[in-house]
Amino acid sequence: MNTIPILTLARSGATSRAWEAFLLAGLDGVAEVEALTLKGRLLKDRAKQTAGVERTALFAQSGAAYRQAAALQPDSYPLINAAAMALFAGEEASVASTARDVLTLVDSDPAQGETPYWREATRAEALLLLGRARDAQASLAAAIRCAPHAWEDHAATLRQFAAILSERGEDSAWLAQHRPAPSLHFSGILGIDSCDTVAADAIHVAIAGIAPGFGYGALAAGADIIAAEAMLAVGAELHVVLPSNPADFCRTSVAPYEQDWTARFNALCAMAHSLTICNDGSETSHSGIALADYQAMGMAVSKATLLESRAVALRIEPEGRPALGDPWLSAKRPLVHVAVTERHPPVKTADLAEGTLLFLVALGDDTGVADPLGFTTLNEAVAAIPLHSGQAAIDCTIAVGRDRVAALLRNTPMGSVYASGPAALALLAEGRCHRIEPMGEMETADGATEVFAIWLDG
Amino acid sequence: MNGWGQAEKAEHLSTIAACFDCGPESAHLLLSAMAEKRFSTGANIALRGDPSAFLFLILEGSVVAEIFGIEGQQAQLTRHRPGEIFGAYPEPALHRADFRAIGDTHVLSIPAQTLAALARAHGEIGSGIAGLLARQLDLMLDRMAARIGLSANGRFHKALLQLADAKGDIRPAPVISALALSVHTTRETGSRALAALLRRGIVERNEDSLRIVSRRMLEEMVI
Repeated sequence: MNTIPILTLARSGATSRAWEAFLLAGLDGVAEVEALTLKGRLLKDRAKQTAGVERTALFAQSGAAYRQAAALQPDSYPLINAAAMALFAGEEASVASTARDVLTLVDSDPAQGETPYWREATRAEALLLLGRARDAQASLAAAIRCAPHAWEDHAATLRQFAAILSERGEDSAWLAQHRPAPSLHFSGILGIDSCDTVAADAIHVAIAGIAPGFGYGALAAGADIIAAEAMLAVGAELHVVLPSNPADFCRTSVAPYEQDWTARFNALCAMAHSLTICNDGSETSHSGIALADYQAMGMAVSKATLLESRAVALRIEPEGRPALGDPWLSAKRPLVHVAVTERHPPVKTADLAEGTLLFLVALGDDTGVADPLGFTTLNEAVAAIPLHSGQAAIDCTIAVGRDRVAALLRNTPMGSVYASGPAALALLAEGRCHRIEPMGEMETADGATEVFAIWLDG
Repeated sequence: MNGWGQAEKAEHLSTIAACFDCGPESAHLLLSAMAEKRFSTGANIALRGDPSAFLFLILEGSVVAEIFGIEGQQAQLTRHRPGEIFGAYPEPALHRADFRAIGDTHVLSIPAQTLAALARAHGEIGSGIAGLLARQLDLMLDRMAARIGLSANGRFHKALLQLADAKGDIRPAPVISALALSVHTTRETGSRALAALLRRGIVERNEDSLRIVSRRMLEEMVI
């Protein structure tokens, strides 16, 4: 049974088309676990997009499919989904009986639960559905102790718990204690003295106050490097995002500032949890730096969204310097400012090439595909995509031509908007979309790019 | 044999075994005919029209193939990444494009005629080369069609699933850098993907093996 194309449509947001494909594949009447759990998931997706009686009916049908799957093969995964769907369908009696079945199954069979975390988290969800909030809290804490760094899984549970508590009109504030540390995007000025302890102390204090778990930014001499060192000092994961290969970036943005910056740059590159190079085939340019900033911000937002935590920005600049054009501001997310004194104006970056950062949009509908459009701002590019676009693709690049966005569009299902990795992260950075879903990787002569389905904000 | 240290030699043997889908004996034969080369980013590896007598296997970094039109316009034909091959096989030829390193690039090279002779003499090596060439053809067709395939993480997850037995055990534990190369991605990507699976308890590491704890969750991550 090849359910991958159907799942791909579902994950791309083409919910109706995924359901049509499920019916077309003749899977609706198939009494097998895989088909039934897929059916439960597709009906749940459809329910979330509707309202009123139809929504209730679809949740009920989803629950029935999950229950049927669990009847074929006792498994806490479809059974807990059946219990939750019963809640959203307003079938309170079924919620209680199914949740009790889940507890019985989990207690009697040590193999239940896909991982040690999910075994306990499933028990916690069943307790929550039974209205035993205090027991659910204790059970969730136990689940998290089983896998304290399984943040993605914790986030899935927190989302589900929030939905259950919201459905019942109950307080969900207690969930906050289980959210992971925030993600931080850091950036700042170049002209800080290597031995400026006042600036360094202020940056370290600010980062300790935010207590991030994950930090994203470049490593230019000055504020960036001090912030990255402070990230490591608080035990956060350091994710370095550079516009060009490390040697070229160091040549243009670190070494000219002399002192000990190059040694600190090299040490941080070696200690970083990850190193992303946005454009390894080009020299560092102003546009490349802007693109890398977008990527780092988008990565911080993406991580926070994935983990159900907060994204925070740290800006290290002289007091009173206007932050005009900072993409972070348009999303209205929290921003912490550390005021520092600029000792050396960054005159040496004037040698950098300007480059051109372009946002490309390709549109298609039932009648065909238009030529890709190019814009110099993300705002203009997003404005060019009609709200209920039949099919659209967006790219963001300093080096790749328009072929890539055209190819992206050819891969985009009707009813969806696809973005290249750089464009998806830029959209997240500016708060222009609220969700991105990975769809795979597109190979072109220019290399591979990740592809995301995106949900634009209206 | 090229003065490789024990650890480096062991890693190269694992890489060759994974990329050529062959056993240790064939991997030894291949490695004994190979040399290691490193190019810094931007370095020319070969120019169009140069004699091409070697097949290259990329271990790290990437290699772009570029051509220049009669009016000087540059076009990138393709970009080869780790685990891919380029160069000559089975006979020496002339390079049809300029080849340039992007990122610090590390390759193993083998004379085309030596490789062809090994392929004729050893069925397993011949079969391995056929597999490598078939995967390379698939990749080139994917690039021409610009179609969406699995992400690097997705390919790595799929490779783990394929290595596992019915109980989910992968024994012996794979050499991660070699497994990553066999699915055309970097050692760093493979290591991070495995670390995430271990962190979430989807995969467990035992003394000499890996165990897939949740096959369904791992299958859902083949994207």
